[in-house]
Amino acid sequence: MRAAFSRALAQAAARDERVLLLTGDHGYALFDEFRKLCPGQYINAGVAEQNMVGVAAGLAKAGFRPVVYGLSAFVPVRVLEQIKIDVCYEQLPVTFIGDGAGLVYSTLGTSHQSFEDIACLRAVPHIDILSPGDPGEMTAAMDFALGHNGPVYLRMGKADLGAVHNGVPALRRGELIAARPGRHPVGFIATGSMLKTALAIAGKIDAPVWSAPWIKPLDEAALAQAVGGCRALVSFEEHSAAAGLGSALLEALALGHPRPVLRIGIGERFSTTCGSHAHALREHGLDLDSVEARVLPFAAQWGPA
Amino acid sequence: MNVSFDPASLRRTVVEMAYAGNSVHLGCAFSIVEMLACLYGRHMRYDAADPRDPARDYLVLSKGHGVMAQYACLLALGWIDRGDIDSYFQDGSRLKGLSDAHVPGCEVTSGTLGHGLSVGVGLALAAQRRSSGQRCYAIVGDGELNEGAIWEALMFAAQARLANLMVLVDANGFQAMGRTDDIMALGDIGARFSAFGFDVATVDGHDMAALSAAIDGLLAMDNGRPKALVARTVKGKGVSYMENDNAWHYLRLTPPLYEQAMRELGSLV
Repeated sequence: MRAAFSRALAQAAARDERVLLLTGDHGYALFDEFRKLCPGQYINAGVAEQNMVGVAAGLAKAGFRPVVYGLSAFVPVRVLEQIKIDVCYEQLPVTFIGDGAGLVYSTLGTSHQSFEDIACLRAVPHIDILSPGDPGEMTAAMDFALGHNGPVYLRMGKADLGAVHNGVPALRRGELIAARPGRHPVGFIATGSMLKTALAIAGKIDAPVWSAPWIKPLDEAALAQAVGGCRALVSFEEHSAAAGLGSALLEALALGHPRPVLRIGIGERFSTTCGSHAHALREHGLDLDSVEARVLPFAAQWGPA
Repeated sequence: MNVSFDPASLRRTVVEMAYAGNSVHLGCAFSIVEMLACLYGRHMRYDAADPRDPARDYLVLSKGHGVMAQYACLLALGWIDRGDIDSYFQDGSRLKGLSDAHVPGCEVTSGTLGHGLSVGVGLALAAQRRSSGQRCYAIVGDGELNEGAIWEALMFAAQARLANLMVLVDANGFQAMGRTDDIMALGDIGARFSAFGFDVATVDGHDMAALSAAIDGLLAMDNGRPKALVARTVKGKGVSYMENDNAWHYLRLTPPLYEQAMRELGSLV
């Protein structure tokens, strides 16, 4: 997925000299192709994220299309106020890349782990939040972000899980993508790295699965139509279960199409131990076995009698 | 179009709008009046008929608390109208108590301090990349220099060799709750900017001729370094009872104080 991201970015910059990459001294090896193709469009703004976002806003006001890269713990969380005031208030076309989202930096601890980034941005007007679930979705998401005339946050989490779709899926702003058909009346909606987990569990009970590349906006009518046949839903995200995808789904469905939603995500806790990504998932109950132990009884409760 | 930016007249507009809107922040508006008059009247290149002219020099009011002084200039330019002044802070009005980028002529949304300068750095960088010749003048407060983001912006500007950026420091010696020396002492502000790679001039911020000469002098230094003008100013300048009384960061005008201020500023009414 990271390769899809860096290729999409380098190609966009080679096509359009208004595309500038700003990084807060992050992205080792990730931008080698970009720097080879478009060395003049690469700006290392130093370890100074607040200024980097303000500079991006100024560049965008003057007609450039900045892409601001950082770890999601810093972009958007550390610079939330700059994103709100300098970029979103004026609806400037700045794309923010939050890399390493979720528990990717399992060995580095709480400073680099990030499961509040979606929550922070959901309340900020005018910014789209995208969280691609495979390399094809990433390519399509980058295509959208760089063509969109407004701010976009693109979340990149655990990125080496492989493809789900055949090729690059067609994205429609705010809509889900069908990832697996199924006859079970409980439907699964997953975003980012948790798409594979949702698919693995769905295979056991023949549940339909959708990927949610968009967290914001969510097209309520399209959502209601897509999941209209489901009695209940399960949301999957490597993000706080509060104010993330699951919450967005509940809010979108609450008035016109209410149904129970089991939210699988990170709870009211930080990581306390060090270890692999798989270990961090276990610590937060997001590994396949733990998730299955919560999802299967829920599915049985709402499933066929 | 021949626009006059007479400091006394600008201050009268500030008093009128503060009185109309029962607004605070008079002191921090008065300390930057001559700086603004000098920039709008003598140094900035812009189309007086079009605040959004893409070839304009930029004026970034990073210390958004002084925005009433900028509104007075925008009124002189006709970019806002008399009704905006008279309806200040009324329900549904468009001028806010801090700089807002939706107002024609205001480049940034500031007041949350330490934001505007970085946006100005981005504007200057855009102009440098295009070799457009545009300059960016950014006004920051000495209190605003408490913000870490300011120093991030200064480092970036020097590294990027933004010779088209001029940071004007409104060194009035006060911030919201007291003297800068007592809260976060800065010592020699010019020396700090110099250490960060800027060409620096220090000047009486209420002496139009001196300001203008200092700005010209800095611009004449064609060495790739960004510029800083430290303007020694008086918070509340122009109205006797406000000068150097930091309470006028927050106080509001009563009818007698309004009349006295207008008299001192040369109003014939």
